Amino acid sequence: MADIWRNNRVVFGAGATDWAALQAEGEARYGAAAALAARRVAFVVDGVRGAFAAVAYGMAFDLDWGVIEASRLTPDVEARFDSHGVALIGPDGTVLNAPEPGEVQPGRITVLTSGSTGLLKLIPHTADTLNTFDRLREMPPQAWFLPYQIGSYAWYQMVALGLFVPDQTLVPGDIDDLAASFAAALARGGVTAISSTPTFWRYALMSIAPETLAAAGLRNISMGGEIVDQAILDTLAALYPEARIRHIYASSEAGAAIVVTDGRAGFDAALLDRPGTIGVRIEDGRLFIRSPYATKAGGEDWIDTGDLVERRGDRIHFCGRVGNTMINVGGNKAFPPDIEAHLMRHPDVVWAQVTARRAPLVGNLPVAAVVLRQPLDEEAAEAMLAAHCEGALAEYAIPRMWEFLDRVPLKASLKS
Amino acid sequence: MDRSEILSIMNLVMAKRGRPAIQSETQTTRDANFRSLDFSETALRIETKMGRELAFDAAAMRRIETVKDVLDFFQDVTKAT
Repeated sequence: MADIWRNNRVVFGAGATDWAALQAEGEARYGAAAALAARRVAFVVDGVRGAFAAVAYGMAFDLDWGVIEASRLTPDVEARFDSHGVALIGPDGTVLNAPEPGEVQPGRITVLTSGSTGLLKLIPHTADTLNTFDRLREMPPQAWFLPYQIGSYAWYQMVALGLFVPDQTLVPGDIDDLAASFAAALARGGVTAISSTPTFWRYALMSIAPETLAAAGLRNISMGGEIVDQAILDTLAALYPEARIRHIYASSEAGAAIVVTDGRAGFDAALLDRPGTIGVRIEDGRLFIRSPYATKAGGEDWIDTGDLVERRGDRIHFCGRVGNTMINVGGNKAFPPDIEAHLMRHPDVVWAQVTARRAPLVGNLPVAAVVLRQPLDEEAAEAMLAAHCEGALAEYAIPRMWEFLDRVPLKASLKS
Repeated sequence: MDRSEILSIMNLVMAKRGRPAIQSETQTTRDANFRSLDFSETALRIETKMGRELAFDAAAMRRIETVKDVLDFFQDVTKAT
């Protein structure tokens, strides 16, 4: 690890540094580690560089630690940390709260969920459960653009890549303007890989000049965090014909579990029967995972992912989340991910999201929010998309109301 | 909302599905090919136009047979405060 600590780079804007220097920055901020070793802590950071300094510091001294952006701290979030006995350490090293001290587990890393479906959760991991790269024999040198929200599972995964795999450079995006920082990083050259979400790509495709994207010459593209549809896989394959494009099924609790490299949406049904380190099974239409990279390492327990899946031929496709996905239209089941995937196959559609709206007689109707590649008269756009759906979707699954947005609504979690 | 406005929303819904316009109030909804999904969409479009959610009485909806019944129903619903 000492070599990696010195050799792997982290790029901030036009400058680059190494992990050893980041550790020194952490020590300058937080002082002697002994003072923090006796408590479970979360470093409250005011920017990307501070986050990386906190990571280097927490890792170097094997603390019980995590990282959160200052802008995410609300009274409710602070109460969540208090209830877990986590001391919040400000950017200058001062302690910001006074929780009842909790049990300390050196090496525990507190991963944060996005909080998009409620108050964020604290998920315990370790370097071993976050480092899912040990199963790869060798990785070529890469410089990864890192767009993820600080403290999220995906962010820690990329951090682990930079910390544990030789010759991996990280290029963190500017969380205040991801598209601009991605465009700038591409224009500076040197970015060869990116891990992100389908929504991030749709946002980038709308926001960044096509020639800048095309000239980037990316060699490695990973996507996850959301259902990865065929349209975005095809778009990226056309834009980067030389790139290795893969989508990864991972969650904060289950860890990274399924990697798909064949360019097709969903995953191979043969995975269900395959013996191996990672187990995949379906029960009542829900996906269960058993993995050594799960939050409770050991890989003995099956985790209910809460994701709905369906077998279609030799493929398992994701249909959304349990409880909040299916739209009941007069007793018929409409699945938004299927409708969205069909809409996004239209060449003029960049992004689509389908939700339910309460309606008399049939209970609910699917309604769609759409971002078009070029602005179009709304009535004409509605007619165009309704025609695109006729015959391809069941009548009850065709959106009945349409909203046309100017831009892809990208959340901090890079999802929509 | 007046009847002509409601009828024009119904016909907009019909046109979007590529169906001919409603010809007369005496037509049954079945003869006019005005289906339950169209009724629901019409309701949502009226709600959107009025900028508020409307209260729909299930028993009154079940009694609907003709285009006139639909127009009466929505006129009544949109009258209520």
